[in-house]
Amino acid sequence: MPFFRRTLPLVIAFVTGVALILQYYIPHEASEEFLTQLNDWLIVIGVFAFLLGIYSLGHVHATRIRRQAAGWGYSVVMFVGIAIGLGTGIASQGEVTTPDGTLSSFGWMYDNMLIPLQGTMFALLGFFVASAAFRAFRARTLEAALLLAAALLVMFGRVPLGEYLWGMLVGVNAPVAMRDIVEWIMNTPNLAARRGVMLGVTLGAIATSLKIIFGIERAYLGGD
Amino acid sequence: MRWLIPRLLNLDRRIIFLAVGLAILLPIVHPLKLPGLKVTQAVRGVYDRIEALPPGSPLLLSFDFDPASKPELHPMGVAIVRHAFRRDLKVIATSLWITGAGLAEDILQTAGREFNKRYGEDFVFLGWQPQPINVIIGLGQDLYKTFPRDYRGNDTRALPALQQVSSLRDIRYMVDLAAGSPGVEEWIVYGADKYGFKVGGGATAVIEPGLRPFLQTGQLTGLIGAMKGAAEYEALLAQPGTATAGMDALSLGHMLVILLVILSNVVYWISRRLPG
Amino acid sequence: MSKRDPSTALLGFLFTPPPWTRVALLPLLLLCALPLQAATAAAPLIPPQDLHASDWPGDTGHAVYLSWKVVPSDSDAIEYVIYAADDPAGPFPEEVIRIQGNERHLPAGKFPFWAWPKRRDAHVVRIETIPARESREGEEAPRKAPLESGKPYYFKVVVTDGVQRSESPVVSAIPQGNLFNWNRLNNLIYTVLFSVLILWFIARARRRDLYLRRIPGLDAVDEAIGRATEMGRPVYYLTGRNSISSISTIAATVLLGEIARKVATYGASIRVPHTDPLVMAVCQEVVKQAYTEAGRPDAYQEDINFFVTDDQFGYAAAVDGLMVREAPAACFYMGFYYAEALLLTETGASTGAIQIAGTDAEHQLPFFVSSCDYTLIGEELYAASAYLSRDPVLVGTLRGQDAGKALLVLMLMLGVLLVTLGTLFGFEEVATAALDPFKVF
Repeated sequence: MPFFRRTLPLVIAFVTGVALILQYYIPHEASEEFLTQLNDWLIVIGVFAFLLGIYSLGHVHATRIRRQAAGWGYSVVMFVGIAIGLGTGIASQGEVTTPDGTLSSFGWMYDNMLIPLQGTMFALLGFFVASAAFRAFRARTLEAALLLAAALLVMFGRVPLGEYLWGMLVGVNAPVAMRDIVEWIMNTPNLAARRGVMLGVTLGAIATSLKIIFGIERAYLGGD
Repeated sequence: MRWLIPRLLNLDRRIIFLAVGLAILLPIVHPLKLPGLKVTQAVRGVYDRIEALPPGSPLLLSFDFDPASKPELHPMGVAIVRHAFRRDLKVIATSLWITGAGLAEDILQTAGREFNKRYGEDFVFLGWQPQPINVIIGLGQDLYKTFPRDYRGNDTRALPALQQVSSLRDIRYMVDLAAGSPGVEEWIVYGADKYGFKVGGGATAVIEPGLRPFLQTGQLTGLIGAMKGAAEYEALLAQPGTATAGMDALSLGHMLVILLVILSNVVYWISRRLPG
Repeated sequence: MSKRDPSTALLGFLFTPPPWTRVALLPLLLLCALPLQAATAAAPLIPPQDLHASDWPGDTGHAVYLSWKVVPSDSDAIEYVIYAADDPAGPFPEEVIRIQGNERHLPAGKFPFWAWPKRRDAHVVRIETIPARESREGEEAPRKAPLESGKPYYFKVVVTDGVQRSESPVVSAIPQGNLFNWNRLNNLIYTVLFSVLILWFIARARRRDLYLRRIPGLDAVDEAIGRATEMGRPVYYLTGRNSISSISTIAATVLLGEIARKVATYGASIRVPHTDPLVMAVCQEVVKQAYTEAGRPDAYQEDINFFVTDDQFGYAAAVDGLMVREAPAACFYMGFYYAEALLLTETGASTGAIQIAGTDAEHQLPFFVSSCDYTLIGEELYAASAYLSRDPVLVGTLRGQDAGKALLVLMLMLGVLLVTLGTLFGFEEVATAALDPFKVF
């Protein structure tokens, strides 16, 4: 069995990795077709893996209900939610509107449940940013103070009221507008730091990919 | 004073949440019409390009976001589609996010009704397909093969709005409204660089800074950032919408966070100076 | 009355013509003068010189290019019109493209000097489509058909100034898919160079210890797990939103193995909620192996790794709920995150957990830094497994990465110097060409 659990996956990783590296340098149509086929296979594997996910979800929550573990009611809600979502989706054949143009039950759920719920979760970020900023944006060191000053300037300058107040402070015809300061902060030091991080990340990604292709990194295979 | 310092330093999050909630809700309920909105060059970059397109030419739009980003990108989408319809452009829309399809249809229908535009003749929504990069490359090779049917099930070859376009090579300009990946970068790398059209971007506040390098290098003609960018576009159209209405809330929200941060630092410094 | 001599009469007519003749002669004279004027105002048009057609290099095989010499008479008053057909005898019904005489269409800046000579003395036009034979009913504009790979096409170039026309002979080219994109030669060289560097440092690491600078976030791992053991509360480990094909997710799964081994050794508990079933499948193997290596296979439970949902905010809501109910002592956020990052970390902070994050999503770094106790920035996440295990192979890879970064910094400085000097001393073209090896084409 070690051949199928260790050797064969390593060989597949090596051959596929090298083939995909070479694909980037070969513009021929056959090379592009190879990439397209590989992407299609990735979808197929992903679909099978999704079945694993559904099984895991069902198993974990069924166990919680059976043992009446803490919060088992939420597990019941989860099953009911899956049933309703699946039921309306199948009944509406996945369409958000009926043939006569009215909203289907699936479309109703999308408009009146999914959109407000997703919007609500995203809106929480506004509150969490405020509380995180209050807790963490403290000038404990010189670097932190510089970062804080830049952050306050950008927050101030990115809203119309900030522009207006700056105009009142220095005059409407001042040589430097608030948005110029903000643009400079975002386009110069911020972008430089981002590029530095991106360079390091990209090199790290290449090195990690090479380790996996050459079989140096094998943790993803698990045990024997 | 001493008793106040630790309470302020560890202020209950719920008080902060309440303050933020009031700062956002009050101006929505009672608009303040705060001044100061100025149009930036980045937003003009998209506006001017669309303005320069001859009437009747195609404009490709990609709505790559989900309902969570609706407050920022929906107003942007409505403003751009309104602009396109004003210029009598043929709008060809698609979405690389499955959750964006419903939002795209909504935007097109809303603006379409306003300008009496007809589906199929003046605008088309191609819909969503899996494997976003394959979709872009497929559109670059053959639009009809990639989307034989549109979102409503019509044969794409029979749609008048698509007559001038057989692939991305026939497109001169596109705008991508993105909340993440796949989005603007994918359209630039796999679309514009390969098939030679220009791209304008619209992005949420979180990812907009990451797209600035593309603006600097000219790979993006313009970049509409977040709700403020959408409000600037509405100002250019002289047609205020939901983005403009949200500017008061945005301004007060930002000012509140600035005040909280300043308060936090003042209290922190005082606490460091107090003996014991 | 005397008769007039005919010769005298003729001479008289010629030198003193009667008035009606002047009126009749004037248009005749003008007509004779016109060709002379035209001849002196516009020289005959030179047909395209040295015209040749070739396959476009480094593509999938659906484009060709035409090239012909620039001549002194090229100006914006001259136009070159290209016609195409799939038969050498024609017909050449419609034009493919029309360029002005002062347009070069050279792919300046788009191709490196080793793949395409930077010439200014030639027109170069790329052709990808020709007018389609058939058009659809009711179409206003003629359709274009892409060039087919392997099929010969025939072209002719007509130069015109609106009055004269001059045609070139017919030339042909066959678009073909190429086996190597020479534009990317520099990229291939760097890939090979970097790979050799990595392998060399790995070999070197096997022979001697290499220094690694301290990464505070990773030093805190033991403290975090120890805290979880003392408090009897679980450790939460999140692997991010991306699929297993993402490098950051792979780095997160590798680090999970190290963390799980420590958790098993300390006797604490760990929970790993997932948003991707493939990642979950891989992590199940990783955690099982970790428990076995720690000598605690009995403590392993299948439910350590469990699937939640692939929806972004559904996942955030579910994990937030779990955190509030189970109050983990330590939370690890490793991998690639989007907007849900702050939702997760703020909730974790509210439960009092010690939080360690590691991501290469630079747009989420500010949120992690402000709400977590320690943050691994960018490549520190990839270095984590090497740092914790001190395996020579992994440490060697890290050193190779650093060497690659040093090379990049040198290239950046060289590029800045070249462009600056080029602008100051007027050799921008040379400087720009010298930068080609450092660009992406």
